Amino acid sequence: MMDTAKRKWVPYFFLSPYLLFYMAFGLIPIIFSFYVSLTSWDGISGKKFVGLANYKFLFNGDSYFFKSIGNTLLFIVMTLPLQLIFGLLIATLLYSQYVKWRAFFQLINFLPYIVTPVAVGLMFNLLFDWQAGFVNKVLIHLGIIDEGIYWLGDPVYARLIIVLMMFWKGFGYTMIFFLAGLANIPKDLNEAAQVDGASGFRNFWSITLPLLRPVITFIVITGIIGGFQLLEEPMLLLGGAGMGSSSAVIGGPDRCCLTTVWNMYDTAYGSTTRYGLGAAIAYGLCVIIAVFSFIGVKFQKGEQE
Amino acid sequence: MNRSLRTTLTTSTIALFSLFALLPFYIMLVMGTYQNEELFQKIVLVPGHYLMENIKTVAESRFDLAYMNSFIVSAASTVVSVFVSCFAGFAFAKHEFKYKKQIFSGVLLTMMIPGQLGLVAFVIEMRYIHVSSTLLPLILPWVANAFGIFWMTQFMKGAIPTEVLESARIDGCSDIGVFFRIVVAFIYPAIATLSLLVFLWSWNNYLLPLIIINKPELFTIPLAITSLGNAYRTDLAAQILGLTLGTIPVLILFIFGSKSFIRGLTAGSVKG
Repeated sequence: MMDTAKRKWVPYFFLSPYLLFYMAFGLIPIIFSFYVSLTSWDGISGKKFVGLANYKFLFNGDSYFFKSIGNTLLFIVMTLPLQLIFGLLIATLLYSQYVKWRAFFQLINFLPYIVTPVAVGLMFNLLFDWQAGFVNKVLIHLGIIDEGIYWLGDPVYARLIIVLMMFWKGFGYTMIFFLAGLANIPKDLNEAAQVDGASGFRNFWSITLPLLRPVITFIVITGIIGGFQLLEEPMLLLGGAGMGSSSAVIGGPDRCCLTTVWNMYDTAYGSTTRYGLGAAIAYGLCVIIAVFSFIGVKFQKGEQE
Repeated sequence: MNRSLRTTLTTSTIALFSLFALLPFYIMLVMGTYQNEELFQKIVLVPGHYLMENIKTVAESRFDLAYMNSFIVSAASTVVSVFVSCFAGFAFAKHEFKYKKQIFSGVLLTMMIPGQLGLVAFVIEMRYIHVSSTLLPLILPWVANAFGIFWMTQFMKGAIPTEVLESARIDGCSDIGVFFRIVVAFIYPAIATLSLLVFLWSWNNYLLPLIIINKPELFTIPLAITSLGNAYRTDLAAQILGLTLGTIPVLILFIFGSKSFIRGLTAGSVKG
């Protein structure tokens, strides 16, 4: 390496902006939040040290903590496979030689990912609105139903709409990563297999798919991390035009769509200002993500060996 | 199957899917051109003629200010984030130092940590240093962006030949000089991709502004859109137009940047 003996300070110089800013605005708040999570505090009166009481409360039925984790997990489990399958399907079709206007379609399918999550939530709120919604009107017009369905008032429908919404938003993003992965596979591998008489499907299954494994792992891990941060879309979907007003339902019918971050927001800054409990929810979420990441990394390592 | 039939089949499958991707956009666009009452009465499929009136309603809410705020926040976040990420990425990819592995694992670890973890204390910290009524709290979290550092490190490992760096040094180029004159030239695709992503994430950010910004003059686009819902609760059409207007800038950015975005992605990202 380059003269490292003489200029030991150089790498630290290049690292220092990151390290300084991370400490000041990342690490310190994280540590201080942990302290806050051990207190009872509404932001106005003084902090009162309560030890692990906030964490104990998470196990209490009133806290909705595990319900919100369950909801979030359900959304991830239902959405991620759909995104992987359709993302890969479209990417494979787009990457084949039998397609016209590739760049154009690539862009179109990626567009939903770009839209502000707030707008996505509101957009689907409008589509599935009971009275003014596009979907109900079309269904009535076609004579499939006589009366509008109350999509967002029913737990099962509401959840399905969130899955549809997340799928709509995310499949183009996975598609782009699959396209990048496909481009990194050496062409001669597939050609050689073709010469050897392998069918297109066989070629895909035995060569393409295994070589895409890093991409799949990347999408799954970032998908799980991102999925746990889910907030705006369900919040705006179910709060709709009245969002921000006290009349908006927290978490939808039976809180079936309350995600963990929504729960945290609502506890610390929404219907209550329990900062301590809010911080405890964030730490609880972190532990759960850590467990999943740990399993994911173990799983990946196990497969490589 | 002959070639042209295959092409037609493949292209139409993708076109069908693209329709699914575009339909909500189209409905959003069209709905924004109607009068509110009309939205409840009929199915709107073609544009109406109430666009100008809806634009007026939206303009009254100072949407222009929200545009400016969002632009300032996103542009500043992008510049500082990309700069700091390139710096740190260079150190990780092309230098040796003590505890490098450990520090890099630390960066990866922070990528796994949900952004909300330090949120409660971050808000307090911002009040404590008296910046909570400025746009600064919306920019600061992007400065130390773990994803950006991971991204740049991966990219620089493959993209910058170490020999070039060494010969520049032998010729007497300073370390800063090496960075700005040589390193930057090799990593343009990665810079383009990361810039677009950070700009997008920052533009779309909602939770932090929702908590920290309480003056309407400092509202960013996502806040402005939701506040349209509060101010004109009954005026769905105006709110939909607000959605459209809030989406347009990033759409334009991606339409023009999509080529370099994808090139950067393909060149260095997902090699595992």
